Amino acid sequence: MAAMFSQNPLMNGPNYSFNQTPTTAAGDNKEHSFYPYTDNGGSTLAISGVDFTIIAGDTRSTSGYNINTRYAPKVFKIGGTTSSQEDATLVLSVVGFAADGEALKERLDAIVKMYRYQHGKPMSVKACAQRLSTILYGKRFFPYYVTAILGGLDEEGKGAIYSYDPVGSYEREQCRAAGAAASLIMPFLDNQVNFKNQYMPGSGVGHALQEREKIPLPRSEVEDLVKDAFDSAVERHIEVGDGLQMMIITKDGIEEIYKPLKRD
Amino acid sequence: MNHLPQAWGRPRDDVYGAYDSSYLQSHGPNQHTQQPIVTGTSVIALKFQDGVVIAADNLASYGSLARFTDVKRLRKFAGTSVVGFGGDVSDMQYLDRLLNSLDIEEAYSSSGHSLNAKNLHTYLSKVFYKRRSDFNPLWNQVLVVGLDDDKKPFLASADLLGTTFSAPSLATGFGAHLAQPLLRKVAPDEETASKLSKEQALAAVKESMKVLFYRDARSLDKYSIAIITADGIDLKEDEKLENQSWAFADQIRGYGTQVN
Amino acid sequence: MDTLVAQYSKPMFEKENYNQDDQVDLYNPHPTLSLRFAMPPIAQPSAWLRAATDDHANPNCPIKIAHGTTTLAFRFQGGIIVATDSRATAGNWIASQTVKKVIEINNCLLGTMAGGAADCQYWLAYLGMQCRLHELRTGRRISVAAASKILANLVYSYKGMGLSMGTMCAGVTPSEGPALYYIDSDGTRLSGNLFCVGSGQTFAYGVLDAEYHYDLSVEEALALGSRSILAATHRDAYSGGFINLYHVKEDGWVKHGFSDTNPIFWKTKLESGEFSNVTSELV
Repeated sequence: MAAMFSQNPLMNGPNYSFNQTPTTAAGDNKEHSFYPYTDNGGSTLAISGVDFTIIAGDTRSTSGYNINTRYAPKVFKIGGTTSSQEDATLVLSVVGFAADGEALKERLDAIVKMYRYQHGKPMSVKACAQRLSTILYGKRFFPYYVTAILGGLDEEGKGAIYSYDPVGSYEREQCRAAGAAASLIMPFLDNQVNFKNQYMPGSGVGHALQEREKIPLPRSEVEDLVKDAFDSAVERHIEVGDGLQMMIITKDGIEEIYKPLKRD
Repeated sequence: MNHLPQAWGRPRDDVYGAYDSSYLQSHGPNQHTQQPIVTGTSVIALKFQDGVVIAADNLASYGSLARFTDVKRLRKFAGTSVVGFGGDVSDMQYLDRLLNSLDIEEAYSSSGHSLNAKNLHTYLSKVFYKRRSDFNPLWNQVLVVGLDDDKKPFLASADLLGTTFSAPSLATGFGAHLAQPLLRKVAPDEETASKLSKEQALAAVKESMKVLFYRDARSLDKYSIAIITADGIDLKEDEKLENQSWAFADQIRGYGTQVN
Repeated sequence: MDTLVAQYSKPMFEKENYNQDDQVDLYNPHPTLSLRFAMPPIAQPSAWLRAATDDHANPNCPIKIAHGTTTLAFRFQGGIIVATDSRATAGNWIASQTVKKVIEINNCLLGTMAGGAADCQYWLAYLGMQCRLHELRTGRRISVAAASKILANLVYSYKGMGLSMGTMCAGVTPSEGPALYYIDSDGTRLSGNLFCVGSGQTFAYGVLDAEYHYDLSVEEALALGSRSILAATHRDAYSGGFINLYHVKEDGWVKHGFSDTNPIFWKTKLESGEFSNVTSELV
């Protein structure tokens, strides 16, 4: 423990005094090491329905203004018994630093596979969600630079989505956009999936306005929403484009769909 | 922990010291501990019908000095794959030794199959990722070419951070800016690449090497080029750029003493 | 000499592999809330971590950790009221409006979340595990004092490493009655009647202090908790979303809704005539 305290130059002397706040970094020995992260851009999106979950991501990989490749998947099946993952029940999307994303995916996949061998049944989304949280938090002091979304069907067969921050705080949600264009897509989702700021026409004016009733969306409509969201993001964000990869989880399995996006 | 509303929950300067953004800079005047010293520039590669073409020049630079002019930056692995190295040359040599020892070990085992390019790429990317996680990176970006499990052409990149990606054409370093657009014109997607003939691919790569030599000040007109197909590796390590035309140089304006 | 021999007798590539301990850590299928954390292998991990994650000192920092914001809890004759907002921010971006900032440690202990959302979730889950182990070992429910001390000692052992949490532990036990503790990542642990924590704490304190007394009825206490959070969501940009309200009694806690602030705000304004600084004209 002593080593932890001595990292901080001021912890050894008297501290916690407002008038001693340093304004420049301490000048003593410091290790100048390389910076272990990069951002590979791209965006992901997940929406859950009554009996399905859709997780989608664009397939562009960037570094700076360069496009590395037009096809680098961000959405992965997790925990199948074969290398082709055809009997998987869970889907993970990762966006941010691709190498961390890959490492996280492989780690979760190995763990879910081990669970399946040992328990003779696939892991539930709920259990996997908690496990993913602890994996991310295990690197609290050297984080995975990724925003993850986990999707599947819950014990009742309803669509389930869990979204994460880089160090593992998580929450079950109805819908979530992550990555470079999250700030473009999320407001659209608030409006179109959760009907935020939508009111019943003719229900009154001012305070008398009635909110639009919330109804679960059918699968075809959600698929269209996802495509529209990405088409819009591609128009306004340089790191998003090339292709749209969609995984649709239903009780019959996971269906993968690829649609082209603008490549400019 | 800071309790003042505007910075609630954030670290306090009087406990943690002032915020030091120099940790975030990957370049800057006061970084000494780790950087590439003797470096190789671009590697470029393109898939075609039944294989992959890869090329890299034979120069190892020491900063702006063209220090070593006969360094082979394409290395064969297990008679099935070729790795093209960009970045630090000493790390390249280390990786080459590493891959050799791996090859020897694999050849001893009696499993009867050898590692293909895809396996090799996976291995290399894990080595890179582990090293970056140890803050002790191998300062390279590499292209791995060969065939995958289905004997289809395979081309993928891995770099010092462990980032990996694959595409019909790839180029590292300066090549990502100069050569990649030319190669993408020939092979915009996998389907087009799978119809490309060997001659077309070879011509595109040679043309790209020429353009790189015109504009990349850390490049050389002597280069290595390899064609990898199911028949094996055809590696030539002492090629010379042909049909150079510096006529365009006359038209360049706005550099140095020649202002207008 | 032995290490020298070992170095050259092993195939070279084995040096680049993860060692056995690392592999077990990476792929251990048994979920454990462990105390083993990967560290960046450098001399000053905390300064490095701060450079990458402090969104206040550097709004452009690469990794933005979700932060929670206004939470309060107070003791009164009928037990303890716990109330929070539900907004999580990452820099200026509202990452979520539906965060559950009251963490149900078990059916009679509650924790609140302010600061790093992941820190609070992980350590309160860890505390939940410790509390259950205490029950199994002793056959008795753990006291709030003991539970809060486990947490305080734990975060104190990580002091200086960059954890950020300000949490309150609330519970009613036969031995203590209603007990309320404040614990933060500095290692501070305080017992008290009333706490507000987070960037909106000052606004919540303003309302809470004005109306609070120990003999509040349950209805009054619930209304006061809700009204204090409402005030904070109104004035603090980093607070908002929904009001999450709990009442802790001796036989466990009761949830009193997760209610949208917007209609509550207008109801409060139009029916009670408060917030007169805001115009009610909408058209």
